[in-house]
Amino acid sequence: MGAGRLARVWAVAANTFRETVRERVLYNLVFFAIIMTLAGLLMGQLSIRQDEKIIKDIGLASMELFGTLIAIFIGVGLVAKEIERRSLHPLLAKPLGRDEFFLGKFAGLSFTLLVNVLVMAAGLALTLAGTGRRVDPHLLKAIYPIYLGLLLVVALALLFSTLTSSALAAVFTVGMVVAGRFSDVVRNMREVAPGAPAWLVQLLYYALPNFRNFDFKDRVAYGDPVPLAAMGTVTAYAAVYAAVVLLIGMSTFRSRELS
Amino acid sequence: MSAAAAGTTAPALDVRGLTKTYRTGLFRRTGRAALKGLDLTVHPGEILGYLGPNGSGKTTTLKILMGLVFPDSGTATILGAGLRESRWRHRVGYLPEQPYFYDYLSAGEYLDYAGRLFGMTAAARRDRAGHLLELVGLRRSAGVPLRRFSKGMMQRVGIAQALINDPELVILDEPMSGLDPIGRRLVRDIILGLKGQGKTVLFSTHILSDAEALCDRVALLRGGELVRVGDLAGILGTDVSHMEILVAGLGREAVDRLAPALRATHALGERWRLEAGEESLGKIVKGVEEAGGRVLSIQPVRRSLEDYFIKEMGERTEDGWEREG
Repeated sequence: MGAGRLARVWAVAANTFRETVRERVLYNLVFFAIIMTLAGLLMGQLSIRQDEKIIKDIGLASMELFGTLIAIFIGVGLVAKEIERRSLHPLLAKPLGRDEFFLGKFAGLSFTLLVNVLVMAAGLALTLAGTGRRVDPHLLKAIYPIYLGLLLVVALALLFSTLTSSALAAVFTVGMVVAGRFSDVVRNMREVAPGAPAWLVQLLYYALPNFRNFDFKDRVAYGDPVPLAAMGTVTAYAAVYAAVVLLIGMSTFRSRELS
Repeated sequence: MSAAAAGTTAPALDVRGLTKTYRTGLFRRTGRAALKGLDLTVHPGEILGYLGPNGSGKTTTLKILMGLVFPDSGTATILGAGLRESRWRHRVGYLPEQPYFYDYLSAGEYLDYAGRLFGMTAAARRDRAGHLLELVGLRRSAGVPLRRFSKGMMQRVGIAQALINDPELVILDEPMSGLDPIGRRLVRDIILGLKGQGKTVLFSTHILSDAEALCDRVALLRGGELVRVGDLAGILGTDVSHMEILVAGLGREAVDRLAPALRATHALGERWRLEAGEESLGKIVKGVEEAGGRVLSIQPVRRSLEDYFIKEMGERTEDGWEREG
């Protein structure tokens, strides 16, 4: 990618980040802060090992939940709303390629989510430290895969955003996220539906994003070891899957008429 | 018309056989033809008015040129480059119809963003944005979020963003839309200023008086087909269509006595506006004086673009043609 292209992608990404900040998307951090404060106060009543695990559980689960909600409900509007409001018409008449616009939107929301996750991670660490518990650096081995999973959700939301309205795109993205969380059910589908062709089950299993791959919350909260190789595997999975989804999204956006 | 406009240099815009049908329905079997083999040339340095009723294909043409929708067939070159090439985009400015800009940004921030897409430096963006906000009369509102802007102010931002890169060719889709008379005058002056700098302007409009005041040439579109293209003198002619006589001191009975020599009469309080053929002028002036009235003014009236358009379009005013004077 040339310097000019990169500068344009960066301009779109920076503007997307500014949009999320001005549209008060980061206000979700206030809710997170309240949840973590309440968790810290309430857990004082429990035994030391038990409450540390519960604080970690609540912190990581909130991080994933808030991040997923932002990724879906902001992500589906990134392209669809621009098409509906026709705000991209003057932009695409400039030397801004549709691929650049699409990638800029992805990068901008990804950066918003990174800020969100980092602030929440700091909040979790503060809660642990503030209540006299150990701040465990291994938490990063749960937080990093959560962020990778969020990137995948953004890519899916953007893809659907190029195909249909923001409302329908939200429905499809939620569907994919839910199906991806229960991918084991898909793999074992033949136990409840023996007539389903094996190839179809296999195809569905591999085609759906497997969000369970990104779930290290329990292992980290319980203090079980998580090898670095596992991080490498989820990174590769997220990179390949997101790249394929983004390529399909760019291809559909390129051929979409903006009437 | 300049030498450039006379066609001695390569066209700024050249459209050949552009065809577009919008497909609708579940299986996209029904279609509505928006453009039917459009040929159009815009010469460097001229202002070309692109006129036609609603649904005649004006906006579709401009959207195809900007790559927002795709033609079924036909070709176009912009500043010598094909539509699929991107190099012309650095030299063209575009204002879409009824533009919407990010309302969480201020006008200054939006222009800065637009400048970034052209690879302009921060200093160049700041200078250019300041100059353009001054030009469109929004300098004092530069830091106000666009969500607080009126429709007319938004239109002015649209014109400013179209000029951020100091383009050679400016394409404006309904630039007067939503503007009050002061805003319209401002945009007229901007368009004339662009021509003065040697720029080429193609603009679509509903408002015929604007086209008449600004354009070197006009192109008339109907049902996706070009009806006529040419300079205004060629289309309208220079012949006087009738005379307009403003008189005072006449009663209705006196005006009625003159009626056989008149084409139309309009009461304006204590005065009358009389319309007559050039050949009847002497007879009417004499008749007014004999009846004790006074002739206040006599004006020859040429055929207007509106007259021409209404005639060409077969009185299809239900199509939304706007008759503004």
